[in-house]
Amino acid sequence: MTESGIVFNIQRFSVHDGPGIRTTVFLKGCTLHCFWCHNPEGIRPKPEIQFYPDRCIGCGACLEACEHGAQILNDDGVHIYVRENCVMCGKCVDNCFSGALELTGTKVTVDEVMAEVLADHAFYANSGGGVTLSGGEPLLQADFSRAILQRSKEEGLHTAIETCGNYTWSHLESVLPWVDLVMMDLKHMDPDVHREVTGTSNERILKIAEGLMYTSKPVLFRTPVVPTVNDTPEAIGEIAAFVRRLSDLRIATNAETGGDAPLPVLGLLRFHRMAADKYRSLDLVYKARDLEVPSLAYMDELRDVARSYGIEVEH
Amino acid sequence: MATRIESETLTYEQRLVSLRETKIKSNLEKQALTGCLNSDDLAFILPPEDRREIVHAISGSGVPITDVIMSGIDIKSNHPNGGFYGPKACGENYASLLKGHPTYIDPMSSLAGAYMTNFGSFRKGGWKPELDFSHLRADQELYQLLSGIGAPQHFCQDLSLGLELGWGKILEKIRHYRTVNTSQDAQDFYDGLEAIVLGMQDWISRNAQLAREMAETEPRPQFKLNLLEMAEINERLVTAPPRTFREACQWIVWYQMAARMYNGSGSLGKLDLILQPFYERDKAAGILTDEEATFHIACLLLRDTAYIQVGGPDGDIKDVTSPVSFLTLEAVHLLRIPCNVAVAVGKDTDPALLRRGVEIIFEDRKSAPKFISMDNLARGFVRNGYPMELATQRAYAGCHWCALPGREYTLNDCVKINFGAVFQVAFEDLFADSGDEPSVDRLWELTTYHLERAVDAIAKGLDFQVAHMHEVFPELMLDLLCHGPIERGVDASHGGVEFMNLCVDGSALATVADSFAALEQRVEQEKRLTWAELKDAIDTDWAGTEGERVRLMMKSIPRYGSGGSLGDAWAQKVEDVFTELVKAKPTPEGHNMIPGLFSWASTISLGKDLRATPNGRHAGDPISHGASPDPGFRKDGAPSAMAVAVASVNPGWGNSAPMQIDLDPGLASDADGVENVMNLITAHFDLGGTLINMNILDKEQILAAHKDPSLYPDLIVRVTGFSAYFNRLSPEFRQLVVDRIIAEA
Ligand code: SF4
Ligand code: SF4
Repeated sequence: MTESGIVFNIQRFSVHDGPGIRTTVFLKGCTLHCFWCHNPEGIRPKPEIQFYPDRCIGCGACLEACEHGAQILNDDGVHIYVRENCVMCGKCVDNCFSGALELTGTKVTVDEVMAEVLADHAFYANSGGGVTLSGGEPLLQADFSRAILQRSKEEGLHTAIETCGNYTWSHLESVLPWVDLVMMDLKHMDPDVHREVTGTSNERILKIAEGLMYTSKPVLFRTPVVPTVNDTPEAIGEIAAFVRRLSDLRIATNAETGGDAPLPVLGLLRFHRMAADKYRSLDLVYKARDLEVPSLAYMDELRDVARSYGIEVEH
Repeated sequence: MATRIESETLTYEQRLVSLRETKIKSNLEKQALTGCLNSDDLAFILPPEDRREIVHAISGSGVPITDVIMSGIDIKSNHPNGGFYGPKACGENYASLLKGHPTYIDPMSSLAGAYMTNFGSFRKGGWKPELDFSHLRADQELYQLLSGIGAPQHFCQDLSLGLELGWGKILEKIRHYRTVNTSQDAQDFYDGLEAIVLGMQDWISRNAQLAREMAETEPRPQFKLNLLEMAEINERLVTAPPRTFREACQWIVWYQMAARMYNGSGSLGKLDLILQPFYERDKAAGILTDEEATFHIACLLLRDTAYIQVGGPDGDIKDVTSPVSFLTLEAVHLLRIPCNVAVAVGKDTDPALLRRGVEIIFEDRKSAPKFISMDNLARGFVRNGYPMELATQRAYAGCHWCALPGREYTLNDCVKINFGAVFQVAFEDLFADSGDEPSVDRLWELTTYHLERAVDAIAKGLDFQVAHMHEVFPELMLDLLCHGPIERGVDASHGGVEFMNLCVDGSALATVADSFAALEQRVEQEKRLTWAELKDAIDTDWAGTEGERVRLMMKSIPRYGSGGSLGDAWAQKVEDVFTELVKAKPTPEGHNMIPGLFSWASTISLGKDLRATPNGRHAGDPISHGASPDPGFRKDGAPSAMAVAVASVNPGWGNSAPMQIDLDPGLASDADGVENVMNLITAHFDLGGTLINMNILDKEQILAAHKDPSLYPDLIVRVTGFSAYFNRLSPEFRQLVVDRIIAEA
């Protein structure tokens, strides 16, 4: 069992990632590359350096610390970070106190994660909250994830994962016994569009979604509503129709097993474009930067479209 | 948008809209005349134009203010310095003010009257010069202490006493006891009290008369009737105690305005408990609807931003929550002005009250109500040797404090030990030490040594205050409704009441805790910096790029509030030692002291004379606020992390260490947003927290308002224990709020 993993953020008092007051642990690395991703620092699995030049005070400590020519002044005397030369030794970050250079993704042990999670123990019980694993894709570090989830269950916490579903069933199966709620993204029903906007087809994802219906786990499907991708009644309708099919499947499963597993729910999330700084800090292109943010009223319209398929849609 | 008053009958809600608009207009007028106000949004209105006089004075909370006083008041000095001192002079001069105070009636309101000035601003000469405390000054100055000497009020009267007696019987009581206590001091005291009661009666009866006159010319039947009722009520209240709910509210308004005007007192206490009998009686008699009751309470809150508790235990009653508690919250909700109502939260307290409070603070975004754990405060108070039934009688009545109504002198919120200043002295000693290499251990030793001296100096100052305040500016208004002062002929500040529990607050906890943590981590553990280099950076206030780098190095450690960090451990250590020192012994005269953590608005002033501190703070910048971690204490700014931290540093002797928390309105966008905030509150109290001052603030709006405050005349923020209109705050106070929001968003 892997007792450590790469985490890029632990957010306490997280209230939008499952029921109640939660602590969300963000695991680094994802197999999709959604162009609008608002956690771009979570995509690549390895630790990375983020460079925010506007925070730099020009102290020069990083230039001195770097032995690999990755922190340099260019010909105009402008400080630049040359990512290709960097070997990620971390010396520059260690000497930078302005926040201009930050290391995203650090290796932490399960114990360390749990210490942080348990710091908010008092807030979980009454609120029905607990811990959420997010990312990135938590199941890329399945052993680590399982260890955290298992420990959390032992502590009596509610557990949730936020997952993209792009893996084989055995991945998911290995953590499922310790998961109380699965939150899974459905971005588009068309495999080609899906590949175009995320870099991967949706076939495996839809299979995983279906597979979940044969379990008794509560499932919340989530669709980020992104202009040019899926912000039409048609695209949302297709997703809703799919959730409806899954819903029927679960009804059938319940009937067969005599169970009463809850029906899947769909949530529509409003795209926002607040990640520009992060993209810049990672030398990534932010293709979503000029997209219009859907209006609240339009989001409600789309929710009504989804509801017309006879499924529960989160507000 | 102007309210149109043309329809036949206005609803209560329409009348409140009109009253609020009048208030906001009056605020703008005050602003134009006196500039910024960095304290409670005092509800006074300006005197008539031909009687306005601008003065520079000291507020009842001890801050310099530009104020408006009225001409035509006959103030008599009894001292060569032009000032007036002692009960007789204070009482008689205050009576002159009451007698010369203009009348005011807004026909929209159900309650007559408004107050127009601060009596304190008529005082000249300050502390009575012959009462010399120069022997205490050296330490007070060395440690930059707020000693409390000369501080008025900050304890709580028992309003039910007044509601039972009325002004007539209060006067009789004074006249009776002046035949019992015949010393000259007592006679002076009674002279002062009696003059004030007569002044009150004069003020009330002139307003009653005005109501009658206005009724005669009032064309709208609804308001004619209202004015006639007002006239009748106030004619009665000149002598008689109130009979109805509305009369009780009117009585409270008069008293509260007079107490506020006299020396800034804003303590109201358990309003629901006080009004409950009137409510029940009127309801049974069929003469009061809930809508009317809410309206009367709103009219009361409009005239003074007093501190009020709803719900919670009292004596052997487990929970006093009643319909009046809820109506009080609804009044706050309808008014949408700065209000200082605290919802009691506890095991036996109706959770519906908490829920309604949270709903209101989110819906209105007016920083009200606040939330208080009477259970934890009472449990702490018991440790001072009092029974639980007494402890639960304490009422929330001021920015961060509680007191036993009418029975306890506390001087709450007036006495501050600036840990930052104490640390600074220790830090200088550290380098003055010849020979020894500086170390964190040594610095801590020196800090505790100086903290002990500071506590001693505070204790002596408190004794001095208790010995002499009554000769300077006695608590006459509060004395009237306390148990003891009239009976004994002794001012409450001088032993007139049964209990004396003097508040001693620590300030700058995070500033000092983070300083220690930074020194320990950066200098001792990591050895990134020598003591000499650090000293140099501090001496130059982090000058130059290298200075800035060192500053950021010291600032970027895991700070108090981040959880399980060195900063957290140091905060605990500082609080422990402070509490231990305050509780080690009473004052030399034997008065009990109770430790708390709070810096109030002094967060700014207490930083002014402080040099740079090793937590990366610049010289002159504000100290940390109360018990709160500094803004930016965690990247996620998690409210739960703050709640854990602040709960862990509560001294736990009955006084509070409030959590000042600013939440994003987005929190309530989720279906269970209200639930989550309720859980945040209850968990903080489960962990030992005592009081929560909460803002629901939209970052964008605050930033826009900071740029041009005039665009948001209606924006209300809870700066610290009090709430205020944002546009009335000075730029540096606005900055304080903005810094918090930016770091936490
Ligand atoms: S991490 Fe190491 S190699 Fe990369 S820039 Fe920093 S110092 Fe240079
Ligand atoms: S160490 Fe940080 S602040 Fe200093 S020059 Fe490098 S990036 Fe800028």
